[in-house]
Amino acid sequence: MVKSNSFATICHLLIIAATYVFLYTPIIVLLVFSFNSATFPAPWTKFTWAWYEELLASVHLWKAFLNSLIIASCATLISLIAGVLFIFYAAQGGKIGKFLPLFYGNLIIPETVLAVSLLGFFSFAMIPLGMTTLILAHTLLGLGFVIPMVYARFKELDYRLTEASLVLGATPIQTFFKITLPMLRPTLLATSLLVFILSFDDFVLSYFCAGSTAQTLSLYILSMLRSEISPVVNALSAVLLVLSSGLVWIFFSLRTRTKIF
Amino acid sequence: MRSIRLKGLKKSLEGGLVLNGIDLVIPSGKFFALLGPSGCGKTTLLRLIAGLEQADSGKIFLGERDITELPIHERPINIVFQNYALFPHLNVFDNVAYSLKLKKLPKELIKEKVLKILEAFHLERHVHKLTTQLSGGQQQRVALARAIVNEPDVLLLDEPLAALDFKLRERMLIELIELQDKLKTTFLYVTHDQFEALTVADQMAIMNPSGQIEQIGTPKEIYEFPSTSFVARFVGTTNILSGTLHQLDTDPHISIEGLGQFKLQVPQKREWMQEGCNALISIRPEKIFISKKEVKNFSNVVKGIVSSIVYHGRSTQYNVLLNNKSRLQVFEQNEEHFPQEVIDYDNEVYLYWQKENVTLLEQ
Amino acid sequence: MKKKTLSSEYPFAIGIPAVIWQILFFYAPLLLLLVGSFLTWSDTNTFTGVSLDKFTFFFRGSYLSVIASSLLLALSNSIICFLIAYPLAYFMAFKGRKWQNLLLFFLIVPFWTNFLLHVYAWFFVLEREGFLNTLLQWLGITSEPIIFLNSTFATMVMMVYYYMPFILLPMYSSLEKFDVKLIEASYDLGASWLQTLRKIVLPLCSRGIKTGFFLVFIPSFGEFAIPELMGGDRRMFVGTVVSQFILGDETGSFGAAFTVFSCVVLLISSLALYFFIDWLLKPKATRW
Repeated sequence: MVKSNSFATICHLLIIAATYVFLYTPIIVLLVFSFNSATFPAPWTKFTWAWYEELLASVHLWKAFLNSLIIASCATLISLIAGVLFIFYAAQGGKIGKFLPLFYGNLIIPETVLAVSLLGFFSFAMIPLGMTTLILAHTLLGLGFVIPMVYARFKELDYRLTEASLVLGATPIQTFFKITLPMLRPTLLATSLLVFILSFDDFVLSYFCAGSTAQTLSLYILSMLRSEISPVVNALSAVLLVLSSGLVWIFFSLRTRTKIF
Repeated sequence: MRSIRLKGLKKSLEGGLVLNGIDLVIPSGKFFALLGPSGCGKTTLLRLIAGLEQADSGKIFLGERDITELPIHERPINIVFQNYALFPHLNVFDNVAYSLKLKKLPKELIKEKVLKILEAFHLERHVHKLTTQLSGGQQQRVALARAIVNEPDVLLLDEPLAALDFKLRERMLIELIELQDKLKTTFLYVTHDQFEALTVADQMAIMNPSGQIEQIGTPKEIYEFPSTSFVARFVGTTNILSGTLHQLDTDPHISIEGLGQFKLQVPQKREWMQEGCNALISIRPEKIFISKKEVKNFSNVVKGIVSSIVYHGRSTQYNVLLNNKSRLQVFEQNEEHFPQEVIDYDNEVYLYWQKENVTLLEQ
Repeated sequence: MKKKTLSSEYPFAIGIPAVIWQILFFYAPLLLLLVGSFLTWSDTNTFTGVSLDKFTFFFRGSYLSVIASSLLLALSNSIICFLIAYPLAYFMAFKGRKWQNLLLFFLIVPFWTNFLLHVYAWFFVLEREGFLNTLLQWLGITSEPIIFLNSTFATMVMMVYYYMPFILLPMYSSLEKFDVKLIEASYDLGASWLQTLRKIVLPLCSRGIKTGFFLVFIPSFGEFAIPELMGGDRRMFVGTVVSQFILGDETGSFGAAFTVFSCVVLLISSLALYFFIDWLLKPKATRW
């Protein structure tokens, strides 16, 4: 291992601890006060579940939540299918890899720019803003991750495994479904998870492309931010945090079991 | 029926021409070895036979059938890859059963066949394990089992033992020989290790770096009577000396500058063998007798000085410097049935060999 | 090297949906944006001509300073994120292998939580009557609440908070694959910790650093939400200006033009930065 220098190590650890304190203080504060019966800034009065109850009852919230869920699921599904088709063609020897750089665009263009251009496009093509446009937009986010990541992993697969399958008598299609796809499964799952989260948490694209009809969770929280500070949002944060942790945990168990990236 | 016939196979890859008109017959039911240095094209040849590559020109026949255009999955030929290529997401049973499941055989039959073969390979206890949990030797056997369970006409083996350690390799070679003997499937074994090739083969072919076959024959034929200097050097170690031929019809001998005349045996006179022409002779190190004393009954002798000694356990290798500054390598088996003379550095020694043990090669 | 063993008899159409989607919904709109910024429309919405009017419009102090602010924001954000993330990535990759997973887990959880919630959380902390002020007053450090929010400070804090994982993950990924023996060899040959860092580690993971850096730099430049929510109207950035244009009545095309204009600036500065960082990280080779 590397040479130990206790002073440097301590400094190192301090920096890291500070980083995590920085990351988690707001969240923890938020969580703690979600149980406070009085609205902030009043100091701690009583432990209560009241805000959580109010959360569950809020119809608008659930609608927004559901919308976000639908959009995220659709975007993920479309990206996934597009990705599998992309790989399928490549697996049959098609030279679709040369189109890969097209998908790096997502990283090069700031989301705001994308949102603005989509807005222009939608009005030009006379597509009304709403759930459809959101799904369209979010799928773009998805493709930018799914295609490069899955293709990269696909390229890393041992091509001799597909050869072995063919030699043993499987047709190219059978080989794809029995060998290639199963081996890509961890990556596909992990990227799906990633895309789902990105879409669910997305703000900028939703802000510009949702129009007046659709409301996503992010937009709902925004409206709450602007109107009143209610501990209901704290409660919401707590719930979402637990959900996120769950998803991250799934992601990690995938990662430790098999190689993803 | 299960022989392979290659006619005029040509193949180019990115680096250039790899195979330049290969003609080869691999007899049915035999253990055939293809030996050649790394990069000579032997793996490419194997892949052509399996269908993983398409030849630029030429034909491949399986028995009487032209399989040149036949797609991979329709050829009754299986490969055991160098790194085994076991499916990591399937366990041992499913790996081996893979080809049988594709044929849609009844479940019971598949189970029977797979378990039977796993037993034969001593893998019964690992049936449900993932292949990544097995040792190298076990993985190798799974790869083998997977390739033969569906009874192919031909089994191709691409340096299958390369990843194993020495002792394991020796054992596997014997197992492979016994397996082939039992199955009577045609085996084509490709390797760069001459020890492996000589051990397993009924028949073998030597391939040179330019992708051409230099010699075909039984291991003994190839070892004892190499037809070219490449084969002589590549298979086993040998000493090569050059000189001029004289009196081929009456008392054949070779005249080597600075050393003298040495008797030869010419079993078959070839076109290039003319009076006074340049030629090479090849003498295997184990066919040279080294001694500090004068010994009778040898047809040839030369004097030299011992320049290095390497102890190999069962044999000792001497490098001897001759009068004309060339060196001869000598292997002496350390029998030590009786007290032997001790040969040391810088000793003057006599090297003896019989004319029957010399191979005459074209320059 | 993948040997082509299978025939590509399948129609191209099978693999192409992704490509078509991307072109249709990503590049076409961008192209539209680009083209649209050059066109002029008359009041009655008829197409009058091509001009660079809109671009020349932006060559004035106020707009140029907006762009400059965004560049500065992006740059400082990237640098600060790098300074915070690199020690962490280094630690996770080399010194804390057993803690890796745990550290990563706790890093990604906030990363995967809704962005707005984080904004809200920081609101909560930084507000006039928020947590931090209450705490400081309670501890007696201050007597009056400090205005944290609606300031560039708040924007910066939130930017770093949000973008840090973006730079950390690629750097960590490339450090993870790093061969520790190279570091050991460097120490063995007499180099100090700092020298090893500069001459061995940084150059070899420069790819991860560059990836991470630009994953932060580029979005930061166009960042809209954070300045909008936390910065108040103190300073205008590209993102906020664009959104004002877009959501305004007649100014849509100006929004497009400004976007294009700033993108060009972004592109040029990114390229310059790229080469600069490259030069910075690579060791100077000896001249013979």
